[in-house]
Amino acid sequence: MQQYRAHLMLCGGTGCIASESLKVKEALSAEIKKRGLENEVNVVFTGCNGFCAEGPIMTVYPEGIFYERLTEKDIPFLVEEHLLKGRPVERLMYKEPEKRHAVPAMKDIPFFNLQVLRVLRNKGLIDPEKIEEYIARDGYMGAAKAFTEMTPAEIVTVVKDSGLRGRGGAGFPTGLKWELAGRVSSDTKYMLCNGDEGDPGAFMDRSVMEADPHSVIEGMIIGARAIGANKGVIYVRAEYPLAVQRLNLAIEQAHEAGLLGEDILGTGFNFDLSIYLGAGAFVCGEETALMRSIEGKRGMPIPRPPFPAQKGLWGKPSVLNNVETLAQIAPIILHGSDWYRSLGTEKSSGTKVFALTGAISNVGLVEVPMGIPLRTIINDIGGGVKGARKKGGRTFKAVQMGGPSGGCIPESLLDTPVTYEDIVQTGAIIGSGGMVVMDDSNCMVSMARFFLEFTADESCGKCPPCRIGTKVMLDMLNDITEGNGKESDIETLQDLCGDIISTSLCGLGQTAPNPVLTTIKYFREEYESHIKDKWCKAGVCRSLCTFIVDEKVCTGCGACQRACTQGAVTGEKKKPHEINQELCIQCRACYDACKFGSINIGPAAMREGLLKDTPAVSV
Amino acid sequence: MQKDINILVVDDEPVVINSCERVLREEGYNVHSAMRGKDAIHLMEENIYNLLLTDLKMPEMDGISLIEWTRKSKPSTGIVVITGYPSQQSIQDVLGLGCIDYVPKPFTPVMLTDVTYRALELAKKTPPLEDFPVGDFTPEMALELNSIINNYKNMPGNLIPVLQKAQEIVGYLPPEVQKQISSKLKVPVAEIHSVVSFYSFFTMKQRGKHLIRVCEGTACYVKRVSAVLDKLISELDVKVGEMTTDRKFSLESVRCLGACGLAPVMMIDQSTHGAMTPMKVVEVLDTYKQP
Ligand SMILES: Cc1cc2nc3c(=O)[nH]c(=O)nc-3n(C[C@H](O)[C@H](O)[C@H](O)COP(=O)(O)O)c2cc1C
Ligand code: FES
Repeated sequence: MQQYRAHLMLCGGTGCIASESLKVKEALSAEIKKRGLENEVNVVFTGCNGFCAEGPIMTVYPEGIFYERLTEKDIPFLVEEHLLKGRPVERLMYKEPEKRHAVPAMKDIPFFNLQVLRVLRNKGLIDPEKIEEYIARDGYMGAAKAFTEMTPAEIVTVVKDSGLRGRGGAGFPTGLKWELAGRVSSDTKYMLCNGDEGDPGAFMDRSVMEADPHSVIEGMIIGARAIGANKGVIYVRAEYPLAVQRLNLAIEQAHEAGLLGEDILGTGFNFDLSIYLGAGAFVCGEETALMRSIEGKRGMPIPRPPFPAQKGLWGKPSVLNNVETLAQIAPIILHGSDWYRSLGTEKSSGTKVFALTGAISNVGLVEVPMGIPLRTIINDIGGGVKGARKKGGRTFKAVQMGGPSGGCIPESLLDTPVTYEDIVQTGAIIGSGGMVVMDDSNCMVSMARFFLEFTADESCGKCPPCRIGTKVMLDMLNDITEGNGKESDIETLQDLCGDIISTSLCGLGQTAPNPVLTTIKYFREEYESHIKDKWCKAGVCRSLCTFIVDEKVCTGCGACQRACTQGAVTGEKKKPHEINQELCIQCRACYDACKFGSINIGPAAMREGLLKDTPAVSV
Repeated sequence: MQKDINILVVDDEPVVINSCERVLREEGYNVHSAMRGKDAIHLMEENIYNLLLTDLKMPEMDGISLIEWTRKSKPSTGIVVITGYPSQQSIQDVLGLGCIDYVPKPFTPVMLTDVTYRALELAKKTPPLEDFPVGDFTPEMALELNSIINNYKNMPGNLIPVLQKAQEIVGYLPPEVQKQISSKLKVPVAEIHSVVSFYSFFTMKQRGKHLIRVCEGTACYVKRVSAVLDKLISELDVKVGEMTTDRKFSLESVRCLGACGLAPVMMIDQSTHGAMTPMKVVEVLDTYKQP
């Protein structure tokens, strides 16, 4: 094998490709060739590294130097300095927010060093398109052990003992699910993988499928052996073309290596795996709907029982597991259940991947042991709210977990440990792992409205409580955000929530009220100020705010004037500016553009008052 | 007022007909009624109805046959079932036939108006096949489609993959395409149409040369994607879900592109553009506007 003196791991995940990492790759190859380094330096285009917002990123081994925000223009200099002269380029390294010094090594960056990588064990380390690289990092060792040293019952026992719970949202114990399906006898059984990832604001499954497709396949092979399934399907959203391409390639390679198809590893066990492209309907992530969808029908949930373990896809016993759940399996088999339990808590063992997004400094994918406090994830790994350290800067308001089925957790509960049980106590859920951080410029009533709009839209329409109930609630929230709310609305909303939860057919309806309930519980005063004072203090609901310049703070820099598309801001340079309320459409562009916090947000009535004061201009 | 909306009520019990007529007329709908399936078909051949409300158990021709006839001959009419036996199984059966919803008997006026309103909304969303413009579905495309269909012919659950491939070839799924698939796969057009209208991935509208998809997922929402969307709407002078007059761009909104780390995000064709701002919209569009 070729011995290289340096390995450049350039990220080829969706995020980095969007930040033009393909161009960086071309520039790198060209430069390395030009310098005659082809035999000394190896460039690997890896899957998602997780630190997406800083992309394109690259780590140089053996030193582990981390570079970020690379452009093709940086490459000649980087190759010359780092690879030829051995001087890492400080300018391109990660800098801690607000402190300017560079942090050269990836292991010293807080975003990375507080994480524990199990699911993401290979992130940024292998080329996802090469099975050899997966195998070189203990890949398929778990499968080999499961096939040659263990009986199906033993596999089930290890997974059960590990305490692993489904990462797709419901948190159902995986070992138990396998045991139930294993007990049913049938000529055909199905092992299915849920890669639908419908939660908007979550992208862990996408990253795993793109960065380490073999880890999912290995989990499925082991699962198939445990339950005695000889057919498997991975259900992936059609919106994830790169994931589909890499999974297809990985399946092909696994076939060639004798890990899929007939007589796997010489044990006489057969398992065929194929990919099915979802066609975009949130409810198809629900297990019974997903199976209907694979059968080519409209993906509507059906009532259980019968459970899929008895009658699932094509009426045969089936097990459906989430992508991340499956990626946890191989290490559990290889290292045992005690090893898995060494992290996490009694009831929530192991690690969980979260997609940390929104108003946070370090946006990206993080894997942490279950049971650590939310605060550690947000403040230490995430680096806190973005722009918090500036004068008049932003402050943390809430973190949304569990997407449309989850809820918003306020600052006062940030010490809650992330476990299935503790997060539920707050009214939110762990869900699939989306964690969207909101600051004081986000309006919680609009947020609730946003999720309700989503569920009302995605309700498959089969059962009236979900369909009509979400619509009625959405109408009420629309009224509140438009200034037509009534004082009784808050109580009516809470009552409706109760009805929908208790009478809906599937998880979509049963959880749809959560965003509304939690925002009322923790941010009731925001609802009240929308309803009583007609005032959206965050400046999001257009009919409920007035933008005015604080003359004492305004420096006259003109940023707001440039940002305004309506020509409503006027003023001389270096003198306080003014907003013409007649022209203002409350789009908030000036507020977002101001770096000094000199734009204030008043209630709707203020604007009416100001309009009355200024005599109407006749044209 | 809703006076342009025609509803046909079919039931063998005069009480039911009377109460439906009373409630729905109050809402401003035009209501006709029939007590037998045959009469209903007669009326439907004469008039165009937006909605059919029908009982299941009737003498002579039963509700199921009437529904099947309507699905086949009047696919643009939405169907709601009035039933005294709302068991899980029977509801599943009628929904499987392509009905939009059901009203259990006895019902309250609010229940009836709610279901009617919603069913009309849904029926509007899935306009009749005939309303769609005949697009650029060339004979070459038809041939390619045929060979694809042949490849999938014996695979169970082949409808969605075939539709995906068809959309890849033609760009959208106009009625001719659905009809060709129907005759080759031996699946009723109504069933194909119901699958196409269920999944957001499928479109029956022709798309522009470039497809712009703007993410309205949570992360993008929090990062104020609305300002980006507004800018696109004003720059292109086009509504969400439509194509510009020069056929250059189609604008659509989606729920999460899985690139939340770069929010707000939009995609033009296969390339993702992250950290969008209204100003960046202009820059990005310029690169596509050059011939
Ligand atoms: C409306 C709805 C949407 C869902 N969407 C997803 C999804 O996108 N991905 C997923 O893995 N599970 C989703 N689930 C959960 C699945 O029904 C199922 O519990 C899960 O895939 C099982 O895998 P696990 O046990 O490994 O978590 C959804 C559930 C509901 C009710
Ligand atoms: S929320 Fe926009 S890409 Fe995920």
